[in-house]
Amino acid sequence: MDDFEKELKLGFLEEASQLLADAEQCFLALESNPQDGPMLDKIFRLAHNLKGSSKAVGFEDIGVFTHRFESFLLKVKNGEIAVSSSVISLLLVCNDHIRSMVDTLKGDLDARIDSSALMERIESASQGEIAHETAPETVHETVEEENFEAPTPEEVELLRLVNHSFDHEIAPVIESAPIVKAAPVATAASAPEELIRVSLARLEKLINSVGELVILQTVLREQSLSSNAHLLRKTIHQMGKVTKEVQDISMSLRMVPLRQTFQKMQRIVRDTSGMLGKKVGLLTSGDDTELDKTVLENISDPLVHLIRNACDHGVESPETRLSKGKPESGTVKLNAYHQSGKLVIEVKDDGGGIDGAKLTAKAIEKGILKPGTVLPEQEAIHLIFHPGFSTKAQVTEVSGRGVGMDVVKTNIEALQGEVQVETVLGEGTTFKVILPLTLAIIDGMVVQNEGCRFVVPLSHVHETLKPGMEDVKHTTTMGEVLLLRGENLPLYRLNTLLGHKQAAMKAANQQIAMVIRYAGNPFAVLVDDILGQQQVVIKEVGQEIQNLKWMSGSAILGDGKPAIIIEMNELVKPAKRGAA
Amino acid sequence: MSHAKNANSNRERFLSFSLGCEEYAVPLLAVREVIALPEYTPVPYTPSYFLGIMNLRGQVISIMDLRQKLGIKPGANTETAVIICDLNGASIGVVVDSVNTVLNPDAADVSDKPEIQSNRPTDYITGVYRKDKKLILFLDLSRSLSLEDHAAVRKSAEVRAPKAA
Repeated sequence: MDDFEKELKLGFLEEASQLLADAEQCFLALESNPQDGPMLDKIFRLAHNLKGSSKAVGFEDIGVFTHRFESFLLKVKNGEIAVSSSVISLLLVCNDHIRSMVDTLKGDLDARIDSSALMERIESASQGEIAHETAPETVHETVEEENFEAPTPEEVELLRLVNHSFDHEIAPVIESAPIVKAAPVATAASAPEELIRVSLARLEKLINSVGELVILQTVLREQSLSSNAHLLRKTIHQMGKVTKEVQDISMSLRMVPLRQTFQKMQRIVRDTSGMLGKKVGLLTSGDDTELDKTVLENISDPLVHLIRNACDHGVESPETRLSKGKPESGTVKLNAYHQSGKLVIEVKDDGGGIDGAKLTAKAIEKGILKPGTVLPEQEAIHLIFHPGFSTKAQVTEVSGRGVGMDVVKTNIEALQGEVQVETVLGEGTTFKVILPLTLAIIDGMVVQNEGCRFVVPLSHVHETLKPGMEDVKHTTTMGEVLLLRGENLPLYRLNTLLGHKQAAMKAANQQIAMVIRYAGNPFAVLVDDILGQQQVVIKEVGQEIQNLKWMSGSAILGDGKPAIIIEMNELVKPAKRGAA
Repeated sequence: MSHAKNANSNRERFLSFSLGCEEYAVPLLAVREVIALPEYTPVPYTPSYFLGIMNLRGQVISIMDLRQKLGIKPGANTETAVIICDLNGASIGVVVDSVNTVLNPDAADVSDKPEIQSNRPTDYITGVYRKDKKLILFLDLSRSLSLEDHAAVRKSAEVRAPKAA
């Protein structure tokens, strides 16, 4: 195979992945609105595209399969086969099959994939349908489905839901329908905006270089101040503006909307609830909220887990729900928004909520807690994040073996984020995932200490103040204490924290106290001076020093010298231990 | 010798440098560039030979003093240089007294290190090269720096509690 052919094939595979993702959304949208003619046209076009290009680049296996697939779709489009839940299921299975073919081929361009079994299924499905051609308008009947495969009770139920979606009892499902539909439409609308794919590595190189450019620009500006050349200074001023703009643009390149990740969740909810015999609708909002590509990639798995958990452990079975006077179908809401410089993703179910007492009992039974322990409600709920803790009596295929929630928590914390749980017994549970918008840039406060500069993430600093002499009390047993508006905060000196031996302690009133209230107990840290606030690009440091926990990275300051970004919470940990 | 002649072009090349009045060399392929000692930022709780971090065209890399690491007294001249090395894909700056030349040694002139009773670890010395009565030691940089340094840094991070208190 020559390079040209190889390139063509690889290009096709990339394109196919995108087409398949689009197609999946269309299938799901079609399910909530079976009469959607334009949607059917779109699906048909996608399939046709796939068939054409796969044959053109020489993937016979995909070509043959998509041909069958297309003929089947044609019948659906012409109304010979009614859109039913099981038709959608078959379409989704086919979509998955093509995707697995594409994935296999990505690994080995000469791979052969056998799809005869699935093709037979399609064949029998479409053959069976022809007999019913006389009843093309029976979308609302389930007769046709018998010809595919025996529909499971849930599928019949689902179909009922779709058909009777004007029933006010399942209002959430109605709400979800336009949202599901809106997403692909939006994609279509934004299509004319031409796109190209760029590798993240190249992007990062660009960002690196732009960072250097900004530094050099600063140096140049400082140089020009001593010169009298008017034009030179004016040009440099102009250049500064352009440089700033270039920097902003290059930073924004890493930001991507959550849309695709959210779309994936529709499928997860559908599959999970189907498997569990529950009825669950997913409502999404805020899917155009943007966040950093790296964060996005790492948030997908924890999110899938939370969603599955909501379907499995959160939403009750239809019978239980009815007996409690709730609508039969549960709702999981997935919502994203920005809040004070952070991204918040909420996963909210209207299920049974988490019973703190039950959790405590379970934990005692498992030996995680000592018998007789009584925990405050909030702490008890946090037991779900304990490793090896599963709240459901039996292990389920869906949510796994209880190895999940602690992993979710660890993964999110690795992204500098946090998970919050709010639960009301009988009404539902909300998981709030709070994430930084990007891992690449933070707002930092530049502080000076003993001639060295350090960066403290601005989000960790609650306030800064110049303490008066009478505000700082020295105690032999507890170290120094800062009296702040009725609060007694432990006071540390950055000098001591960094292990400097101090010749003479500076008077506290000549220094500045930073109050840290980021997580855990608040405390204050004395630094020599605060130089200012600025956005800094986080630079990874070498492996050799990555295990210094109190150093979350480094940043290059305006003069080109690197500074350490301090994680205050980690830095005071040993000092706290020492004091205790 | 005859064997070495055939492999003339394939012989591994080394960059030699001085540490105090001794001469050492590292494989040339591991060397990315040589720069003058830049400004660097010290990092607390690291061993003394860990000088700090520096900015190499937008990339932050660690910089270490090989002389202090190996316990060699710095030379009289102040002409220090930093060799930027590529160790398993990561860059590291190594401070040496001066960079000398590129060596292209005959295999026959390179011998294994002599078995010497020593209480210092010497496993980072990969060979000994004799050239015009000079003795040049070949170093395995990742062994002499990084692996051990991970441990050292970890240790200093652990023991810092009493120091800080």
